[in-house]
Amino acid sequence: MRQEGILQHSASRLLGLIPTLLVLITIAFFMIRLAPGGPFDSEKILPPEIKANLEAKYHLDEPLVKQYFRYLGQIITLDFGPSFQYKDWTVNELIARGFPVSLTIGGLAIVLAFFLGTLIGIVAAMRQNTAVDYSLMGVAMLGISIPNFVVAPLLILLVAVYAGWLPAGGWDWSVQRMVLPVVTLALPAIAYIARLTRGSMIEVLNSNYIRTARAKGLPEHLVIRRHALKPALLPVISFMGPATAGLITGSVVIERIYSIPGLGSYFVQGALNRDYTLVMGVVIFYGVIIILLNFIVDILYAWMNPRIRYNEAQ
Amino acid sequence: MSLPRMNTARLLIIAVAMMMLAQTAWPVTVNRGLGPEPDSLDIHQAQGLSAINLLRDLREGLLSFDAKGELVPGQAKSWQVLDGGKRYRFTLRPDARWSNGDTVTATDFIRAWHRAFSPQTASATAGLLQIVMNAAAIMSGKMAVDELGIEELEPGILEIRLTKPAPWLLELLAHPVSFPLHRSSMDEPRQAPVNGPFILAGWVPRSSISLEKNPGYYAASSVLVDAVEYFPIEQPAAELLRFRARELDITETIPPGRYDWLQENLGAELRTHPYLGSFWLGINFRHPVLGHSAALRRALALAIDREILVRVVLGAGEMPGWSIVPPGISGYLPAQMAESSWSQQRREAEAVRLFKEAGKQAGFGQHKPLVLELRYNTSQLHRRMAVAVSAMWKQVLGVATELVNEEWKVFVNNRKMGVVTEVFRGGWIADYSDPASFLDLFISDSALNTTFYANPEFDQTVASTHLVSGLARMELLRKAESVLMQDMPVIPLYYYVSRHLVNTRITGFADNVRDVHLSRYLAIAPENP
Repeated sequence: MRQEGILQHSASRLLGLIPTLLVLITIAFFMIRLAPGGPFDSEKILPPEIKANLEAKYHLDEPLVKQYFRYLGQIITLDFGPSFQYKDWTVNELIARGFPVSLTIGGLAIVLAFFLGTLIGIVAAMRQNTAVDYSLMGVAMLGISIPNFVVAPLLILLVAVYAGWLPAGGWDWSVQRMVLPVVTLALPAIAYIARLTRGSMIEVLNSNYIRTARAKGLPEHLVIRRHALKPALLPVISFMGPATAGLITGSVVIERIYSIPGLGSYFVQGALNRDYTLVMGVVIFYGVIIILLNFIVDILYAWMNPRIRYNEAQ
Repeated sequence: MSLPRMNTARLLIIAVAMMMLAQTAWPVTVNRGLGPEPDSLDIHQAQGLSAINLLRDLREGLLSFDAKGELVPGQAKSWQVLDGGKRYRFTLRPDARWSNGDTVTATDFIRAWHRAFSPQTASATAGLLQIVMNAAAIMSGKMAVDELGIEELEPGILEIRLTKPAPWLLELLAHPVSFPLHRSSMDEPRQAPVNGPFILAGWVPRSSISLEKNPGYYAASSVLVDAVEYFPIEQPAAELLRFRARELDITETIPPGRYDWLQENLGAELRTHPYLGSFWLGINFRHPVLGHSAALRRALALAIDREILVRVVLGAGEMPGWSIVPPGISGYLPAQMAESSWSQQRREAEAVRLFKEAGKQAGFGQHKPLVLELRYNTSQLHRRMAVAVSAMWKQVLGVATELVNEEWKVFVNNRKMGVVTEVFRGGWIADYSDPASFLDLFISDSALNTTFYANPEFDQTVASTHLVSGLARMELLRKAESVLMQDMPVIPLYYYVSRHLVNTRITGFADNVRDVHLSRYLAIAPENP
């Protein structure tokens, strides 16, 4: 009975993806074309006949509505077309090469952030209002407020240029080249998760059922592990959905400073270059990922929160 | 007693073996910064400098460059100039080969040129070769491609016909747009055979591009490195960090504002050199005041203290600019503004005098101050330039300047339309080392004329340069430039410089005005202990 409920729920959520995506595609399609300037405007102004040849080649000379339906027909076959800016590559190829890189860095960063963040949060909550708590939360506040573009060059300077322990940038799938970007990307997330965990842990530790557990004579580490951890992590879980989506789709700042060939820069560069096909491809790809992750978080949430489970069972 | 000695002996043998291995088997690789990700390795689509630099390592045209950036024979071993410069006859090298072993033939050139001008290719750079007979008509689809002025006279002899003499043609034959193409995979630049000193071994977009020495290249024995690793790094600051971590041997540029620091800390590796580019402020001649007062334009030009601008504001080794054509083109002396030899004080006094004179005519002055708009594309450097210029105008002339900062695509579009622009950021980097590359921008019907300046005297002078050659031509070009410097459609601010960081162990990197540094001349000197 309950199984069916979740399945039905999942199926309808997945179907709901389609209209959401359609709206997203339509808005993005017309918005990028409304922006002044086109993909072929540059310093060197093209003779009109060459510009006409170019526009004909990419069907930009057709009416906008016709272009829109041509594009819809094209993406149904999952073909995002050729990039205007990187002419030797299709958008599919660029995403297929960029996403694994972003996924690796972002995935490692979110895992690191989750474990380190919750650990720090729990420790701080158990030592509430002591020097340990204050110093941990102080460092966390710093982690949230110092932007990436300050942390990254500092790390490179210290670890790569002065100490020479790690490479200063670039990408070849080696662990050495992942360390700095992953740490930089994880820092603000660690700090944020630590603060979230501390807050909710304190709240849970003050609740009646924890007092009961303690009254039973359960040791403190078991109280935390068996009874407090799950409910205390609920706000962290709901934060993890959007945070994961944000991290695995690539960060422009990290990519540019560490010269990493991830997805993040394609979005920004694509928009600046009016690379219509690349922007659209990345927007649709992001859209799918964010919707999917939110969906996964919903299910995880139901699994972890007994109150939601209980309500659904009834 | 004997045990440690044996160990030492063993260690010694291993060490010697490793050294020998290092000398024989270790490939010599040069790591170069490339700037932005190349836009295309298709010779007819590549526009960006990074793609053009790469293509010059992978492929070769009829002509090529030597280490100092001077033109030398490439796939052609010799040529004749006929009909007063309207016909060129090239003899191809018999030992020119594609990387798959095929001979490079005249047909390979003709095939490539037909593709360049065909409307379906929609090549943005083919316009450089518009002087080739019938090229313009073919590009606009009015004529068939086989009418193009390129022909194989006999095997190995190629003839190119022009509509008018163009002494810069030879330099364009070293530009990728004029390179030959192998008959296979013309539309797949990543797989296609190449005819240059290196072959493409790998390309990970926005990460690295690996080149390996091409053993079939006719001058392969003179190529001293086995491989070149190019790293596209968009941020100059990131590039600098990787150079400092010794991951790069040569950088594409340096970050703005770091010149003094670099000179102090990496002085031996910092290489700056004049470059064939000028930076200026363009003036829209459709503007009711600016377009009608040469005195006002000159006043605005003289009120700017270029010394301060290049030293304090930009600080990357640029030189104050007083002409449109930068110095460095052989046989040509730029027609600099006469005031370039004055003191800044005297210039400012003259600026005030001219400004008052212009104000009387156009009706602005102390009671009705002139308000101008200075438009530039988003960039930290351009913002600093614009703020400094507006402060100088305010201080010397009392002109109020509104700074308008636009995203690149919006900016170039507005500049092209010429409706909202007043004073705007402009400049040019030579396509070929000839004054015409700069002066042609100001011909009244040029698509590139974003100032909408139109002076029949200038147009006629430029047209008359096509009838003469050599010194007489340069004299006429100089006359045309002095007309421009009188009318001032643009206010020159500074001449560009090329800037690189080059590891001291690299040899064969010679500074030159074209800023071309083919990898085939580079070598790595053994490190001194």
